[in-house]
Amino acid sequence: MTLSGGLSRPGERDRPTIKFMEIDWTFCLVLCLIAGSGALMLFSIAGASWEPWAARHLLRFGVYFIIMVALAMCDLRWWFMAAYPVYGIGLLLLIAVEVVGDVSLGAQRWLSIGGFRFQPSEVMKIGLVLALARYYHGLSSDSARMSWRLLIPATMIALPVLLVAHQPDLGTAVLITATGLSIVVLAGLSWRIIIAGVVAVMVAIPPFVMFVLHDYQRNRVLTFMNPESDPSGNGYHILQSKIALGSGGLLGKGFGLGSQSQLNFLPEKQTDFIFATLAEEFGFVGCFTVLFLYGAVIFMALRIASISHSHFGRLAAGGTISTFALYVLINGGMVMGMAPVVGVPMPMLSYGGTVMLTVMIGFGLIQAVRVHRYTEVTSGKGSWM
Amino acid sequence: MSEPSIFFFEVNERQGVFHRRAFLLGGLTGVGLLALGGRLAQLQLVEAQRYQKLSAGNQFNYRLVPPPRGLILDRNGVSLASNRPNFRLMINKDKGLDAEAVLDDLTKLVPIDGTRRARVLRDLERAPRKAPVVVMEDLSWEEFSRVNIRAPELPNVTADMGEVRVYPFGGAFAHVIGYVAKVSDRDLEAAKKDPTQDQELLHHPGFRIGKQGVEKAFDIELRGRTGATKTEVDAQGRVVRLDPAGDIPPTAGKAVRLTLDADIQNRALEVMGDESGAIVVMDCRTGDLLCMVSAPSFDANRFVRGLSGPEYKALAEYERKPLLDKAMTGVFPPGSTFKPTVSLAALAAGINPEVRIFCGGSWYYGGRTWRCYKPGGHGSQNMHDAIKNSCDIYFYQTSLKVGPTAIANAARAMGFGQIFDIGIPGQKKGLVPDPEWKKRAFKKNPANQIWFPGETPSYGIGQGALTVNALQLAVMTARLANAKKALNPRLVKSVGDVEQPSGADVPDLPFSPEHLAYVRGGMAAVANDVTGTAYRNSQLGLGDIQMAGKTGTAQVRSYDKGVSRKSDDVRWRLKDHNLFVAFAPYDDPRYAVSVIIEHGGMGGATAGAPRAREVMRVALLKDPEIRARIERPAPLPEAPVEDIMEGAAPEDPVEEAPPPEPGPPPPGTPTGGL
Repeated sequence: MTLSGGLSRPGERDRPTIKFMEIDWTFCLVLCLIAGSGALMLFSIAGASWEPWAARHLLRFGVYFIIMVALAMCDLRWWFMAAYPVYGIGLLLLIAVEVVGDVSLGAQRWLSIGGFRFQPSEVMKIGLVLALARYYHGLSSDSARMSWRLLIPATMIALPVLLVAHQPDLGTAVLITATGLSIVVLAGLSWRIIIAGVVAVMVAIPPFVMFVLHDYQRNRVLTFMNPESDPSGNGYHILQSKIALGSGGLLGKGFGLGSQSQLNFLPEKQTDFIFATLAEEFGFVGCFTVLFLYGAVIFMALRIASISHSHFGRLAAGGTISTFALYVLINGGMVMGMAPVVGVPMPMLSYGGTVMLTVMIGFGLIQAVRVHRYTEVTSGKGSWM
Repeated sequence: MSEPSIFFFEVNERQGVFHRRAFLLGGLTGVGLLALGGRLAQLQLVEAQRYQKLSAGNQFNYRLVPPPRGLILDRNGVSLASNRPNFRLMINKDKGLDAEAVLDDLTKLVPIDGTRRARVLRDLERAPRKAPVVVMEDLSWEEFSRVNIRAPELPNVTADMGEVRVYPFGGAFAHVIGYVAKVSDRDLEAAKKDPTQDQELLHHPGFRIGKQGVEKAFDIELRGRTGATKTEVDAQGRVVRLDPAGDIPPTAGKAVRLTLDADIQNRALEVMGDESGAIVVMDCRTGDLLCMVSAPSFDANRFVRGLSGPEYKALAEYERKPLLDKAMTGVFPPGSTFKPTVSLAALAAGINPEVRIFCGGSWYYGGRTWRCYKPGGHGSQNMHDAIKNSCDIYFYQTSLKVGPTAIANAARAMGFGQIFDIGIPGQKKGLVPDPEWKKRAFKKNPANQIWFPGETPSYGIGQGALTVNALQLAVMTARLANAKKALNPRLVKSVGDVEQPSGADVPDLPFSPEHLAYVRGGMAAVANDVTGTAYRNSQLGLGDIQMAGKTGTAQVRSYDKGVSRKSDDVRWRLKDHNLFVAFAPYDDPRYAVSVIIEHGGMGGATAGAPRAREVMRVALLKDPEIRARIERPAPLPEAPVEDIMEGAAPEDPVEEAPPPEPGPPPPGTPTGGL
């Protein structure tokens, strides 16, 4: 920060060393702490072993960290230019997954290209943020508040959401919708529309749950309402997770001593329910610390968004961090029995490469916004590129 | 690239909106995180104890350990019912159990045939969730270890070591001790209302409940208290670790010690051969029952495992009724063994025993001819002779003099017509008739409510409506032999080292010692007078230790029309019952015995007496004092007398009932002439 005052000569901020120094290293430290906690828990639930999860978790984080730093150095204008193409590719991949995707656990989510399996919905998480940010970059605040032009971002959100929901992957669909809407709101949508929308959603949820959802999805939602109704069936996840959390108490059972996770009572202990493992072994103190770290990440990112001079940067960073915050809140709520069980992991803490990669690319974008906060980004008005 | 196309105020406005909205979203996120933190506090700080309990409930599993069932011992500590190890193979009914597949796997390790497979599948169907179902019992060690080695691959299968009840003497004690068997639905229903019973134990697959006899009567005492082993289990229910420090050891059931003597009991069943009947031996001084056997018997061990249909049918349909306890439940007319009781009634009524009655073989009374069993008659009889010869004519006439009420009173005083509290269920009290009874019993038929004079002579010889059981006969004999106390029988010596009340702690008999001694003299003559009805079969062969007894024959059909009472070629079911009661030694009674041979043929001497003698010999020879007396006929110091006794005893039985010298004769025992 001390450097920035003196960096006024044209082109000086484009020097790689300066860019490197401009990356928010406090932010990166917090990320390392979270990923380290994840590795610690993965080490514990594997029975004090680096295999099969902890070592790979750390390795991935290391690789993705380098990717993040590299992306942070990318000029924001490149990001700007890439926005629509990434969105377009994401959309094409989602259509492709409809046609040739692998069926896994009753849903078509995966696409294999040359032996590399990935979920196109992850590409879309980045693509949508970029595309919306780019679109709003060229929109006046009046138009962003309320105008016919808003039909375009609405369509941009609706297309991927419908494709993902059709897979069916309800969790991701909700996440993408929420990400898109967060940008629309950040860009200055009229309060009337926001309130009307919230009311409409409230009214629509019960019939949606009863008539549109698949059986297993409906069961998850209904079980969430009353998990004790079927403790060994659908309510099992929630109940066991609550037991793991609650039995941790203030200080936890101790490292490697969580009976719920060590004895497999806790399902998905290394992925979606890793927070419960943490809660069991390190108690309220441990959980609160990790939640504090997540809070720190979110607020640091929001601050980065706020100090950006370009509207694209603001919205891109804001949208990305909204996604991240949603991950944390939904997973936390799910683990604590406050939200239905949807396949949303705790970012950075849970084992799993795809989500971590997406999140780290997102952080690369956020860091790029910070590094290039003074960069003037071309208006998108009247031109596509 | 460098020209802003949106004007500055626009830029400012958009930035302002973004800042406000970002602040708002940040606030919302903050609220969300605080909500998570609050929820965490609620779960981990407020409700922590509840969830810690649930977690422990997940992690630790208390496996019920059934207590070893209490032993049943005889009076010398010989075990009559104990437990042996039993390797069992069980399937736990759990969610998602593929019973067919598990059975397929097991069939590779142990022999499981089609019927067993079908039974296991049916049991699994009916069993409550998580309940183990027994696949096989009594696995060999090889089979057991083969299954145990593969246990990790067979998650719902457990092979464990339980205990199973074993009755080492098989049938000898089957009726007294009874047996244990699987808990039936009826047992469960009955136990449901009883909060003192451990419901979980009742549902344990290895648990057996007492169904008969001592096993049933003392079931709760024998059960003991359930224990538990603490194990750490994973989500699949597999045991991860044992925690011996958390185990609760089971408490074994209390031992029940009986007054029975295994040697006497075994000998009694042995001498019964294939006859049907009962033998009861009672201590004349304490009332302890040394033997209570019913024949034919059955192997109680079969009932523990569960009888097959045909096996049970074979037992139930055999005409000699092995399942019936003839010592307590079977009631018979006592026949002539009732005559000592009638004699006591007559003596108590003031009849002079020396007044003679002439027996010519038949006697006319009440419009019909009453016959003595001896066609030619016994001649002139006093009471002593009448007991010795079992003369019917004497007792026909004497009973008429005494009357039915007095006979009934004497019978009740001697123990007939009542149920004794010996601790186990199943006694039938039989019937001691009197005019009062007739009024009660024939309410629907007033013409029969009066006591007909013709009923009394039958009563006098132990026939008619009168019925007794073998236990009552033994009690009668023991009371007679005791000469003082109205002894009660005792079967259970102690329960868990708590001594049960003695049968000798009772009031005296309502008869004078002289009268009792007179009747005993008659019974001594039965066994020891060469003309007595049981002389030939009542010689113990134990020197001067002699037995006194009374024969009895109970008719099961009428012989009025000159049918021969010889029964050799008569069908078993139509033969007379053959009874014998005895006590020994005559001069200092220790043991009383009663023998009933169902359809044993006429004359208590033929079937009953030799068996009574054999059983009595065992009882006497086990008694150290009697043994000493046989080996050294104290208290005579003179050598010559000893020599004579030893030489004379086997071939030259003493002619008259009272032995000349040995032992101090009990007070009031007459010593000659009767």
